[in-house]
Amino acid sequence: MAPQQAELILTLLGMATLLPLASAFIMIILTRRVMFKAAGWFATAVMAGSFVCALVSLVTWLGVPEADRRGLSLLKSIPWIPIPSTEAGHLYLGILVDNLTIAMMAMVTLISLLVHLYSIGYMNGDKRYNRFFAYLSLFTFSMLGIVISNSIMQMFVFWELVGLTSYLLIGFWFEKRGPQLACKKAFVMNRIGDAGFLIGFGILFYQLGGKLLLPAAGGASGMVEGQVVTMFDAIKTLIEQDGHSITNPPLWLTAAGIGLFFGAIGKSAQFPLHTWLPDAMEGPTPVSSIVHSATMVAAGVYLTGRIYPILTPAAHVFVAVIGLITLVIAACMALVMTDIKRVLAYSTLSQLGYMILGLGAGAYAFALFHLVTHAFFKCCLFQCSGSVINAAHHEQDMRQYGGLGKKLPVTMACYLVCTLAIAGASIPWTEFGISGFYSKDGIIAGTVSYGHALHDTFGAAANLFWLAPTVVAYITVFYMARSFALTFLGKPRNQKLFDHAHEAPWTMCVPQIVLAAMAILTAPFLMGFWQSLIVASEPQVAWIQGADHLAHGHAMHTTHVYLLNGLAWIIMLAAGIILYIPGMKFSSKIAAIPGINLLYTWAYNKFYFDALYDTFVVGLGKLISMIAAVFDKYIVDGIVNLVGLLGKAAAFLIGAFDIHLIDGSVNAAAAAAHSSGGLLRATHAGRVRGYVLIFFASAVLVVLAVVTTVMVFGA
Amino acid sequence: MDMPSLLNWMIYVPMIFGGLCLLAPSGEWAKRLALAGSIVTLVMSIVLLCNYSFDQGGVQFESSLVWIEAINVHYRTGLDGLSLPLVLLTTALSVLVVAAGWKIDKAAKAYNALYMLLLTGMLGVFLALDMFLFYVFFEISLLPMYFLIGIWGGPRKEYAAIKFFLYTLAGSICLLIVMLGLFLYTPNIDGANGKQLWTIVSSSELSLQSAAVRAVFGNGGLHEVFGKWAFWLTLIAFLIKLPAVPFHTWLPDAHVEAPTPISMVLAGVLLKMGGYAMMRITWPLFPDAAATFWVAVATIGVVSIIYGALCAIAQTDWKKMVAYSSVSHMGYVTLGLAVLTRTGFDGAYFQMIAHGITSAMMFFLVGVVYDRAHHRDLNRFGGLWLTWPGYSGWAMVGFFAGMGLPGLCGFIGEIMVLLGTFEAAANFEHQVGLVYTFGILAASGVVLTAGYILWMFQRVYMGLPKPEYESFEPVRGREYAIMAVLGIAAFVFGIVPVLIFNITDSTFESLTNMLRDGLGVLSVSGS
Repeated sequence: MAPQQAELILTLLGMATLLPLASAFIMIILTRRVMFKAAGWFATAVMAGSFVCALVSLVTWLGVPEADRRGLSLLKSIPWIPIPSTEAGHLYLGILVDNLTIAMMAMVTLISLLVHLYSIGYMNGDKRYNRFFAYLSLFTFSMLGIVISNSIMQMFVFWELVGLTSYLLIGFWFEKRGPQLACKKAFVMNRIGDAGFLIGFGILFYQLGGKLLLPAAGGASGMVEGQVVTMFDAIKTLIEQDGHSITNPPLWLTAAGIGLFFGAIGKSAQFPLHTWLPDAMEGPTPVSSIVHSATMVAAGVYLTGRIYPILTPAAHVFVAVIGLITLVIAACMALVMTDIKRVLAYSTLSQLGYMILGLGAGAYAFALFHLVTHAFFKCCLFQCSGSVINAAHHEQDMRQYGGLGKKLPVTMACYLVCTLAIAGASIPWTEFGISGFYSKDGIIAGTVSYGHALHDTFGAAANLFWLAPTVVAYITVFYMARSFALTFLGKPRNQKLFDHAHEAPWTMCVPQIVLAAMAILTAPFLMGFWQSLIVASEPQVAWIQGADHLAHGHAMHTTHVYLLNGLAWIIMLAAGIILYIPGMKFSSKIAAIPGINLLYTWAYNKFYFDALYDTFVVGLGKLISMIAAVFDKYIVDGIVNLVGLLGKAAAFLIGAFDIHLIDGSVNAAAAAAHSSGGLLRATHAGRVRGYVLIFFASAVLVVLAVVTTVMVFGA
Repeated sequence: MDMPSLLNWMIYVPMIFGGLCLLAPSGEWAKRLALAGSIVTLVMSIVLLCNYSFDQGGVQFESSLVWIEAINVHYRTGLDGLSLPLVLLTTALSVLVVAAGWKIDKAAKAYNALYMLLLTGMLGVFLALDMFLFYVFFEISLLPMYFLIGIWGGPRKEYAAIKFFLYTLAGSICLLIVMLGLFLYTPNIDGANGKQLWTIVSSSELSLQSAAVRAVFGNGGLHEVFGKWAFWLTLIAFLIKLPAVPFHTWLPDAHVEAPTPISMVLAGVLLKMGGYAMMRITWPLFPDAAATFWVAVATIGVVSIIYGALCAIAQTDWKKMVAYSSVSHMGYVTLGLAVLTRTGFDGAYFQMIAHGITSAMMFFLVGVVYDRAHHRDLNRFGGLWLTWPGYSGWAMVGFFAGMGLPGLCGFIGEIMVLLGTFEAAANFEHQVGLVYTFGILAASGVVLTAGYILWMFQRVYMGLPKPEYESFEPVRGREYAIMAVLGIAAFVFGIVPVLIFNITDSTFESLTNMLRDGLGVLSVSGS
């Protein structure tokens, strides 16, 4: 790559990141009096500029021959915090551009642009309209900051900022209790993950002497600023020094990997920190569509992808298991929810579980490709749900919907396309399908080979690694069909709501249509570059058991067996639609069957995670802090006061001793003391100024004495 | 005027203005004089900064005069990388503190005079280079504070003031004992100057002196036992001031009773004296003991972080919550020093500066509301975001800076202390598990911090506006100015931390080199 091209790309991506920050800053400074109505279009226009920057760099990047691009990274580092005791010398901020960055930048800026546009319609009439766009742009800035991160340090900085901005966005309607609690919960849960991140960060910092730059191993070619020791190079050197190897990694590396991954658990809402995401639906729907489907929650997956080469086999198992648990429980919950946004929220959880499982299982390229495809179709699904909710006057219960397809044809069409995308629809017996088909099948194929590879270690239990995602693939289609049928098909179940429903304005429809189109277009045979960029970004490490079994080209054949050669989605879609066209009539009967009803109740109550956490974590935490406060007040401070009291008592006793035993001889002195005490008391009682004057004068005298002695005795 | 005299004038100018305040014709004039005095002091400190040479590690602008020859006491002042940022913090904050006290009309002359005297004391503490002189200023700063809390404070002001006074005095006595011991036990290091240890070891001389000092007080030295006792005595003296658990209970009381500006300066500057003195006196004089007892000291730090945060969660008094947050934040300072790494030291120092900004801001934010609501019960607030959007925007900056969010100053100190803690695994090869435990516990402190800040934010700022607060008089321009200065400072230092590190770098280099010598003790005893 020519240096000018490299410079151009770095500059453009830097601008793409900073533009939203600038617009947020301007909107905050100008306040509502100057810019209220205009804020929406202003922010959208700036975001469009940011998207164009990302697009131009994408095109420039794609202009480089593929062989040269593979393993290429551009790095720009600016020293930020000096750490002179380490070899690295500084903690850096900057920009890292490789294939993954390019793909992510294009995806995030496009989605953010569309969500900005959508919000113009959706947030219309809100009394903090301008503020919403400021937060949204700020959020986009933070997210882009993560994407271009050149080091673990920068990753953490923007990681926290994403946490903050999502807090502001979820709590946007902070007058209401729901958003208040939800935003606090989201931030605190995220911070629990962040604590893990910090621990992993600290371990790596120490072990690697502060060398935390991110370009993957072997990616040092074409560096802008000369040769740099990356985190991965440093690890490699260190491991070889210590006599460890890739098959026998040191414990600290596993610990560091799992620690960093905890950050991903928090941000990507994985089990056991998943409970904040459904609650976050309290935020305005555009927020759900960007923050809680396409970007923030994707950041965890992105981080896991970035640290993929340092995850040891043990850490990979950990990652895979977390993803596995999440995808199963979330799918079960999505099956029974009646709030349309919550169905989508749990579906997001489940899909994130797929990505995490995929990364754990070594299906790097497919997991991150799923991140991109999912971002488009899930963003679209949320926007559609927003249009429905808007049309239904903020009713979110699907039991009140039905037949809305007649009133919202565009929305219905988009929703259907994306339902097919998440279902992984394909033409049976062929390899042509909608985007989700490619990414999800690849993940399942990866888990199959991972499961086989782990057979020696885990025995039959290793089969769960592929069995669960396969079964959940069926469930996914079913719950999406359910939500589609309940909302758009059948007869209206709430006539009044139906009568008032209307299609969304164009500012909302256009983004939906574009996103739905992207859900189709990201398929490799249409827009091949999405997948090829991600495939090219795959780090070349042989750490993961099973990864070498994964022959990308033939992945689909493996899963065809489990997914009935592409018939599975048709069957489940039909089943879901037929069952739910009449509303909940049939399903409530099924749910009442003994045995199933128990499962139903569990899933409906979110497996009691919230109750558990409220009681044991929050409750216990509050109890401990109460105990600490009481302990502090009565024991720690009690001892202090007791010492004071004892001192007083001793003084009193001595005083009594003095008066009664040495009495007679000092009568006169006592009288004098008494009168002077009286004098002092008089000063103390009221004449503050006089009191201070006396003190001040004596202080001055002290200093004067000092100065005089110095002058007299001094040199 | 040459720089050393300017430096000395800077110490006493506030006191002169304080005297003028007392003579002022009215309270209003006293306020103006105090403001003028603090601005003059600020300008002087900026002139010193401009003339300060960053590359030179040693003391600059030094003046040294014999004071009490018989016991080798000098009047010695000067500036180095350890003191300069704190001096600037003090002078800059003072302008804001005087401005924040503009509405205090009760005996305004006396109030401002005392504050000016306090400023002299604080600057003296940071600029003194003789231990005796340091002690004098340490005490001078104590007394005005006693009166400022005891006279202008809240309902339990007498109790709080006397507690503050006695507690700190107890610390001073510990320090006095150490001074006597040093006087008795220190040999003549370089024959001519006699008992050199009366001079606070300044970084430039560390490499010269540390070997000799360690030979006496270090492990295996003639007065090893005294060295260890002295380490703990000075440490306790300064941990009280910092404050660290379990010596912290004076702080919540003092803060709750103190008027807003006094809380600002108490948290913003006075607490820093503790950390500063540890870095200036305790660690350089007794590096061997610091290495020997690092576990105990780090435990105090970690316990302060977590215990302080837990107590903060449980408070219903807003100001008390902020006070406990100080305990928690200062725990990072203790931890950063305890682990004996350069990163930890840098982090601890930055944390002091950052906390000087954020805690002053947080106390001011509370004060703005308290002045109008006349209560601080967290459970009775709500909806302030809608009542006062502008103020709440700054509140967000202040509290989130306290929470350690990146981009704001609170983050840098915390993260560096954490990284420094992990880095300490290299120092203590036989106790790596312990090092990691400290690191993990300190890292989990961020969750608790988020807990109390966010819960407070929800209860005070979110929700529907309450009718009883809608009649509040709007936030004044003066108040906005104070919030803006502190808020912008929080951003500036959060984004460009090298502003501090450039000043401290060369000084800290020699300081930590010396500590590394102390660590040699461990490898000897460990192997």
